[in-house]
Amino acid sequence: MAGKAGSAPATYSPSPTTQKKKTSLFQEDWVRPDGRGFHQCRPAFFRTGAVNAASGSAYAEFGNTKVIVAVFGPRESKKAMMYSDIGRLNCNVSYTTFASPVRGQGSDHKEYTAMLHKALEGAIILESFPKTTVDVFALVLESGGGDLPVVISCASLALADAGIMMYDLVASVSVSCLSKNLVIDPIFEEENSQDGSLMITCMPSRYEITQLTVTGEWSTPKINEGMQLCLDACAKLAKIMRSCLKEAASDSQE
Amino acid sequence: MVGLSLGEQHFIQGGIAQDLRCDGRKRLTYRPIYVETGVIPQANGSARVRMGATDVIASVKAELGKPSSLQPNKGKVSIHIDCSSTAEPAFEGRGGDELSAELSNALQSCLLGGKSGEGAGIDLSSLIVIEGKICWDLYIDGLVVSSDGNLLDTLGAAIKAALSNTGIPRVQVAAGESSDDQPEVDISDEEFLQFDTSGVPVIVTLTKVGRHYIVDATSEEESQMSSAISISVNRQGYICGITKRGGAGMDPSIILDMVSVAKHVSEQLINKLDSEIASAEAEHQE
Repeated sequence: MAGKAGSAPATYSPSPTTQKKKTSLFQEDWVRPDGRGFHQCRPAFFRTGAVNAASGSAYAEFGNTKVIVAVFGPRESKKAMMYSDIGRLNCNVSYTTFASPVRGQGSDHKEYTAMLHKALEGAIILESFPKTTVDVFALVLESGGGDLPVVISCASLALADAGIMMYDLVASVSVSCLSKNLVIDPIFEEENSQDGSLMITCMPSRYEITQLTVTGEWSTPKINEGMQLCLDACAKLAKIMRSCLKEAASDSQE
Repeated sequence: MVGLSLGEQHFIQGGIAQDLRCDGRKRLTYRPIYVETGVIPQANGSARVRMGATDVIASVKAELGKPSSLQPNKGKVSIHIDCSSTAEPAFEGRGGDELSAELSNALQSCLLGGKSGEGAGIDLSSLIVIEGKICWDLYIDGLVVSSDGNLLDTLGAAIKAALSNTGIPRVQVAAGESSDDQPEVDISDEEFLQFDTSGVPVIVTLTKVGRHYIVDATSEEESQMSSAISISVNRQGYICGITKRGGAGMDPSIILDMVSVAKHVSEQLINKLDSEIASAEAEHQE
């Protein structure tokens, strides 16, 4: 930040933050802010091996949502815990202070830890590591909307990278209901004004749903449609995840 | 929590497969429901609901507050559940925190609708006093006194009953300087506005044991479950929220089947609850 000697230091004045008016954005011909179709997901980028110190790790970037997950274990359970003949899963999801547009405002997502746990515990073969614990730590570096599905998909990739035995990869997608339109993989502005949301976590090869959360008012045909959209998207997402793992494996072999 | 021998487990699973549960109920029958309202005089509204041995108390307190800047024409509701250690010794101190958090989250997603406020069971715009400045904050607290399975349904019913018992005091705003930051308000002690609860949904939890689903599981039956889905349905038949408990994976067609079963069961539950609440209110008036 060395300025040229003699020049007056440039002052920075922040531009006035424009108050976004809450006009009804969702007319008939409404286009999504990033130009996607209603049934189009954000492009997914995955990379394993992001954290060297961890047993396994993965980094995922979906548009503006950037997540890094590190998996430690199986390692010894805390001495306070009782003996258990199946393994234990310990999850934690935290936000960096710079993840949201307003500093520190991401702290109202405490339930994400419990939801990550519920999504993963059905997929991991806990009997393969008795008496020990696997720790999954997720850190959201930037929150661009649809955070929890990205965290879950990235966590299952990190578990695969760590070599933890699983029944199948876990892929997760959410759908938002915006005044009668179903919009897949919502971004931040769409999430804030959504009328309802449906998030599905599934194991695509087994065609099983491990976690399902619906909020807002839905009729049965809409739930049907939403679930089908999510399951198709999860199948495609799982293919991307698998190809990422294969690339990582073939890279390490060379 | 529940220690069951292998023989008892087989007995429960086999009975459910044959549509005959341990207490003689069919798979889709609820235990007898008892509702009492107005059990906590200091609260704006309260109710106590018993389903078999499960006993919960819900109370609603209303306080004046400032609406959030994102939604200046809506009041605020916060739901919090506490599992008392009288229900289970394991709930003492921090032990019940995980279960309380899970129940609070499930109830919040069922009753409060989407982020835009659409589809909320509670009409938040009726809680506004002065737009942008003063609104009612509703604090709904649930207490689990005794736990014998099916806590979510019972809490949902208790909150519905407590809301029908809730009276919001009438507020008179002192007319005067309109640009005042804190207008004078006068909270009436006498007149109360009854809350409209026709839109509040009920929660039906379907527990999957083996290949069949049961409604209103006792804690013994819950220990045998592979997974459970709690579906919140309102009077018009719309689904207001779904949460899945239990980690086992489920086929999507089973989930859709459970949704239709829940809608069918919820009609009877809503009618039963409404009649119980009405008779409890009538008793309370006398």
